[in-house]
Amino acid sequence: MSSRVMRDFELLLPESIEETIALLARHKDKSAVLAGGTDLLVALKFDYAIDNVISLALVPGLDELDFDSAKGLTIGAKVTIAEVLRSQDVKDHYPALWQAAKVFATPQLRNTATVLGNILRASPAGDCSAALYATGGSLLLKNANGCRNVDLDDFWISYGVTARRADELAVSLHVPAPEKGQKSAFRRMTRTTEDLSKINAAVCLQMTGETCRKARVVMGCVGPTLLRLPKVEKILEGAAVTPDLLRDISNVVISEIAPIDDQRSSAEYRNKVAGVLVKRVIEAALNAKGDDQ
Amino acid sequence: MKKHAITLTVNGEERDLLVSSNRTLLDALRDDLGYTDTKYGCGTGECGACTILVDGMTTINGCLTLAATMNGKSITTAAGLARNGHLHPVQEAFIENDAIQCGFCTPGMVLKTISLLDENPAPTEAEIRHGLEGNICRCTGYTKIVEAVQDASRRISGSNTSAMGE
Ligand SMILES: Cc1cc2nc3c(=O)[nH]c(=O)nc-3n(C[C@H](O)[C@H](O)[C@H](O)COP(=O)(O)OP(=O)(O)OC[C@H]3O[C@@H](n4cnc5c(N)ncnc54)[C@H](O)[C@@H]3O)c2cc1C
Ligand code: FES
Ligand code: FES
Repeated sequence: MSSRVMRDFELLLPESIEETIALLARHKDKSAVLAGGTDLLVALKFDYAIDNVISLALVPGLDELDFDSAKGLTIGAKVTIAEVLRSQDVKDHYPALWQAAKVFATPQLRNTATVLGNILRASPAGDCSAALYATGGSLLLKNANGCRNVDLDDFWISYGVTARRADELAVSLHVPAPEKGQKSAFRRMTRTTEDLSKINAAVCLQMTGETCRKARVVMGCVGPTLLRLPKVEKILEGAAVTPDLLRDISNVVISEIAPIDDQRSSAEYRNKVAGVLVKRVIEAALNAKGDDQ
Repeated sequence: MKKHAITLTVNGEERDLLVSSNRTLLDALRDDLGYTDTKYGCGTGECGACTILVDGMTTINGCLTLAATMNGKSITTAAGLARNGHLHPVQEAFIENDAIQCGFCTPGMVLKTISLLDENPAPTEAEIRHGLEGNICRCTGYTKIVEAVQDASRRISGSNTSAMGE
């Protein structure tokens, strides 16, 4: 196999959600769902083999990108990063997600890569995943027996492993409506813009004036899955976010992460910059200037 | 493994073909249909040499697309841009600004530029650089390419042609 020729497989092209689920029930772990293919097809050119690839290309009903100020945001399985980036609702109400979409891969890849594919890939470097983990959300999974919702807090189990069962289709992601005073932001560091993050971070803060009521702080590329930083969240909650507090937070971050050396960066470097990145992403959320990166 | 019968409209021409499941759109275009202007660079979505336009102005990487999922789609490659013997204004701008050396990246660069200018007819330099992040050139160092895109933007707005050159 090479970067040119993919391993062979059976390509299945169902034309409805029901048909997709029936195929998943038949082939289970002998199958993989193909959304945008920007992870799956690369894997099939190198180290991955699977008998059946079930494409969503012809499946209707998975294109919903819908915002309602009471109900929140719904993102269907075929919604691409480019569509998220074009959404004024996402930009206004979920800045962390919008900022992650803005710096995601390349224009060509944004046109095919899906948000749900990013979540299902379960990479600790997933940019939209990091943003959504901060804002919170739950996945709607469907199999032949019915539906269930799995909170993102319980979804990523280890590197590349999720709570999805082999016969389940991820239909959509639901993100709660933003509370009053909600601020969020995403930041990442890369070698070149089209590269995967060497480290990324996202926050979602519920603010009353200067005081933080609730915080979700997420960091990527510093463990086998994306990580929340509970100590940092605890320091933020109930506190006024001052420069002194941010300095304290910056020093605590390192005790909550476990980065490794890999092809994109080293553990030493990640440990060095993690605190600064968390401080900056909090500042970015509070100083929200919208689309700056 | 099963073959899939598909029809693609490439540069305005309907083409029927039979592809295996694992055939990329890039290889179907190059090897089955002869559109060798679409290049194979990295095969993994990084270089943009395989960029094509789908159903209008959407750019995708042919190397990360399965041909069998594209039945019924309309595809434009760089070879389909000329009209009545005249190159597309973006192609002319690339030539006249010396934005081509070996030319390997050029079909992808030109197509990406056309889609960029369709969305944003007068991009800033920063917007041009962000828009071309998915296209790597190993020769020119990008300055000439950015100048060509700026020139193409002026040519298109000055001549009232649409981004497709019509
Ligand atoms: C050059 C390059 C640059 C990249 N840059 C970035 C980047 O900057 N940031 C980033 O986070 N990622 C990046 N990626 C990774 C990739 O593009 C993303 O993870 C993308 O969001 C995956 O979405 P997809 O639709 O292409 O998924 P696919 O490849 O189709 O699927 C990914 C995985 O999820 C499963 N899956 C997908 N949809 C479903 C579903 N509905 N139900 C069940 N299972 C499903 C698939 O079976 C597969 O295992 C990059 C990739 C490349 C090749
Ligand atoms: S060959 Fe497709 S992006 Fe490089
Ligand atoms: S001109 Fe040679 S790669 Fe761009």
